[in-house]
Amino acid sequence: MRGLRPFPRRSSRLPFPFLTPRDVGAPGAETSVRAVPDSLEHSLALAQQRLAVPIVGFLLLFLVVVGRLGILMGSGPFSEAAVAPTVSSSDAPYLAPVASRADIVDRRGEVIATSLPLFSLCVDSPKVLEPSTLAAHLRPVLPDLDPVRVTEAAKSGKRCALVRRRLTPRQAYEVNSLGIVGLEIVPDEARSYPAGPLAAHVVGYTDTDNRGIAGIEREFDSSLSHSSQPLVLSLDLRVQALTHQALADTITTFHALGGASVVMDLATGEILALVSLPDFDPQNRENAPPEALFNRATLGVYEMGSTFKVITTAMALDSGLVKPRDTFDTLSPLWVGSKQIRDFHPATHRLNVAEIMMESSNIGAALMADRVGGARQRAFFEALDLDKPVLLETPERGRPLMPSAKDWRESTVLTTAFGHGIAVSAVRLATAVGTLVRDGEPVHPTLLKRATSSGAGSAERDEPRLVSPRVSAQVRAMMRLVVRSGTARKADVPGYLVAGKTGTADKVEGHEYTKDARLSSFIGVFPAPKPRYLVIVLVDEPKGTMETHGQATGGWTAAQTVGSIIEHMGPLVGLSPQTPEESARADAVLLGSLGPGVVPAEASVSSREGR
Amino acid sequence: MHNQGEMGFRGQAFFMPVLLISAEHLTLADKVRLVNWGLVVLIVALGGIGIGLLYSAGGESWRPWAGPQGVRFLVGLVGMLALALVDVRIWLRLAYPLYGVMMGMLVLVEVMGHIGMGAQRWIDLGVFVIQPSELMKITLVLALARYFHGLEDEEIGRLSRLVPPVLMVLAPVGLVLLQPNLGTSLLLILTSAALFWGAGVRVWVFLVALGLGLVSLPVAWHHLHDYQKARLMTFVNPEADPLGAGYNILQSKIALGSGGLFGRGFGQGTQSQLQFLPEKHTDFIFVVLAEEWGLVGAVALLLLYAGLLAYGFAIALSCRNLFGRLAALGLTATFFLYVLANVGMVSGLLPVVGIPLPLVSYGGTAMMTLLLGCGLLLGISIHRDVRISRTGISTS
Repeated sequence: MRGLRPFPRRSSRLPFPFLTPRDVGAPGAETSVRAVPDSLEHSLALAQQRLAVPIVGFLLLFLVVVGRLGILMGSGPFSEAAVAPTVSSSDAPYLAPVASRADIVDRRGEVIATSLPLFSLCVDSPKVLEPSTLAAHLRPVLPDLDPVRVTEAAKSGKRCALVRRRLTPRQAYEVNSLGIVGLEIVPDEARSYPAGPLAAHVVGYTDTDNRGIAGIEREFDSSLSHSSQPLVLSLDLRVQALTHQALADTITTFHALGGASVVMDLATGEILALVSLPDFDPQNRENAPPEALFNRATLGVYEMGSTFKVITTAMALDSGLVKPRDTFDTLSPLWVGSKQIRDFHPATHRLNVAEIMMESSNIGAALMADRVGGARQRAFFEALDLDKPVLLETPERGRPLMPSAKDWRESTVLTTAFGHGIAVSAVRLATAVGTLVRDGEPVHPTLLKRATSSGAGSAERDEPRLVSPRVSAQVRAMMRLVVRSGTARKADVPGYLVAGKTGTADKVEGHEYTKDARLSSFIGVFPAPKPRYLVIVLVDEPKGTMETHGQATGGWTAAQTVGSIIEHMGPLVGLSPQTPEESARADAVLLGSLGPGVVPAEASVSSREGR
Repeated sequence: MHNQGEMGFRGQAFFMPVLLISAEHLTLADKVRLVNWGLVVLIVALGGIGIGLLYSAGGESWRPWAGPQGVRFLVGLVGMLALALVDVRIWLRLAYPLYGVMMGMLVLVEVMGHIGMGAQRWIDLGVFVIQPSELMKITLVLALARYFHGLEDEEIGRLSRLVPPVLMVLAPVGLVLLQPNLGTSLLLILTSAALFWGAGVRVWVFLVALGLGLVSLPVAWHHLHDYQKARLMTFVNPEADPLGAGYNILQSKIALGSGGLFGRGFGQGTQSQLQFLPEKHTDFIFVVLAEEWGLVGAVALLLLYAGLLAYGFAIALSCRNLFGRLAALGLTATFFLYVLANVGMVSGLLPVVGIPLPLVSYGGTAMMTLLLGCGLLLGISIHRDVRISRTGISTS
């Protein structure tokens, strides 16, 4: 019977109370009850041996926690405790104001963020003689103070019970003039953003203690709080303002959810404008809805759609396996498993590479990628860093969604060719396309003004070209054709030789692509012969209008926005438009790089000038 | 005479008072002399630190937290010492009944507990409020220790013998999950695992259980509440939603960083003083410590906890009855998991689950539970040389 009773019922029959020496400890008690069996000794010993595992395990976990705390706290800003104004100063009733956090200015010195020296009012409650009347005395000076809070503070027993932050110098003076013992004025500081929401997503914002918690304010938090020199951004507030306006107009016109736009100087990588809408006022961000705090230009990653064909085309031409004049069978839909790849504008004949770009043929792009092959395609994407977040001075950087090498299947090859199945941020795409049109020299984007106006580009770094200058010229010629006579005629600005590519990506809702929600985009560069500036515009879920015949594709929405931005920024950045004759000559040279028989007759320079 | 010679010293920790008294005949005076005062000092130190931090977090004031916490701690301390004197054999006998009562209470909260913070966890007894899921942590340990104590050596290898204890674990875990309280259910499971391990359950059983657990993860995810999913997602990337679900943990990290090596000084933490940090007096009190006393203070507190755990393990090692040894292991594990879950959460190593910092966080039931556990631990230490047969009869 022993050993078969995990629930020993006998225990209930024990003499009670069973603790008295009389019952259990008495001599001879062993004879009435069973002696300790060996089994019990063995269990005891086993339990003892096994204790080693939790002891060692707990010790290791403890060390992990201590290590983690060491990383978090050891690397913390020690000196901040010394720098930050201490609120509990009870020694001096009045301290001179100090504005400590440095300004942020645009490339021309316009102030984007600055610090205002202000004051805080706190109550040294043990010193207050009549706590109950304090609120009434303060009322004439600070009518909006909550009297209950003041009384609570006066009775709190604290040496510095904070009642009000951000007093103006005048208010501080008036409070002091009351001459009430126990009211302490201590220095405070407020961050002010004179440009309002204009550059909100770039500059970010600070918390009530003036610690940067987003954008540039966070990225450069320690240098801003320790330096008196203003931080000079690459932004040009004038370009920022006109970009903001153009994008906002587009969003209103097409009832879109939002949008993003980036203007980049390709010679230096400097970002002249970066807009994400909806946005917020950094000064009153408490009222901003969460989506307004989301940076769609740097943090949001999207399937970009056809703008990716620029990358596919450059890759195909650079591989040597595809020539501009090669034609592809774009007449019938392409099957990938059970899904069909179709064209928005169905082709009437076999399209060559330039026509694939102009008509934005998905089938054509997919066939080009197929010829090059998945391995080279993925290597090309990696060379362009499409698998990594862009290196930019902001904490809000989105990590691209790109399938891993082992998931790089045939379907991946075909769909990424026209920008589906891979999601990147607007800045990431702009950097890649900028690199391809700048003779393959890597562009390094920055939000800070470069020390010299030109030299900090890739030439100095001596990096390898990602495509040959010849291929780059051919890509530019095709992008120019897209604007001259393809899907993006609305982006053309006379005299600026705009080249670009439209994109219209169906958005994923749940697990399915939907026809009703799309991301329309356009990426444009100018002047096409040697592009200096790049403008990218994304419009999130635009709806068609009467004027666009119900269309909401990239060509109808974002292309027109980019055109408007280029038209207005050109004179500001010192580029004057070329005459029609100069433009025609430049176009002829550029399109000539494609070789004979590539440019469709109706799109050639001569036929267009004749019309 | 009773065989004093059998007093075993195997595994006797160096800091245990050694008195040659027959284990079965402990008078009250003997018991008081056998109290492990080192452990008591550690407990008082931890409670004192907690009260100090609450004083600071309350704006250097006894109200609203430090005063009530101090009173509760003193009451709890007396209760703990009283419990320590209770013979371990009485706990052995009461293990199942107590477990039953707690199960009943858990069912009761499920039925009629009043709603607070989105989860039903309390029973309002009029005079005070109790949280059965907290007390269950202790009673489950006792019940499991009781079960394995009664199990013969060779039975531990039989799967059929593992069915009752597994059910004993799953019943309260299920009820606690229903509340819903993910943190406590995980804590119950992990504590039980430690006990199963100590009892000698075969290694492969643990491996199979781990495998099953991993396989069922996707299913579990599907059944999580939205707020729980949000917490887990926030854990992966708090920066994605800095003003919403990620707020607490980000503020917490900021406060930790602002503490630096030596801290800002008592009452000087900006994060903790200026209301940025929700729950600073309960689950996030470690942040107040870290900000005001820096890394040095944080590590010092962790060392105190480590000392307490060392005592717990020493008691388990030196105990001469299986029930006491297993119960000591379970109680120590509970204590450790509290600390790990809380500090891990605060430092962003683990997702946010509402687990207080033992003996330091503001709050009644959790502190009572832990002091109760410490009382039991002290009791086990006092009665470490009592030998108990499989059936619960003491032999000497």
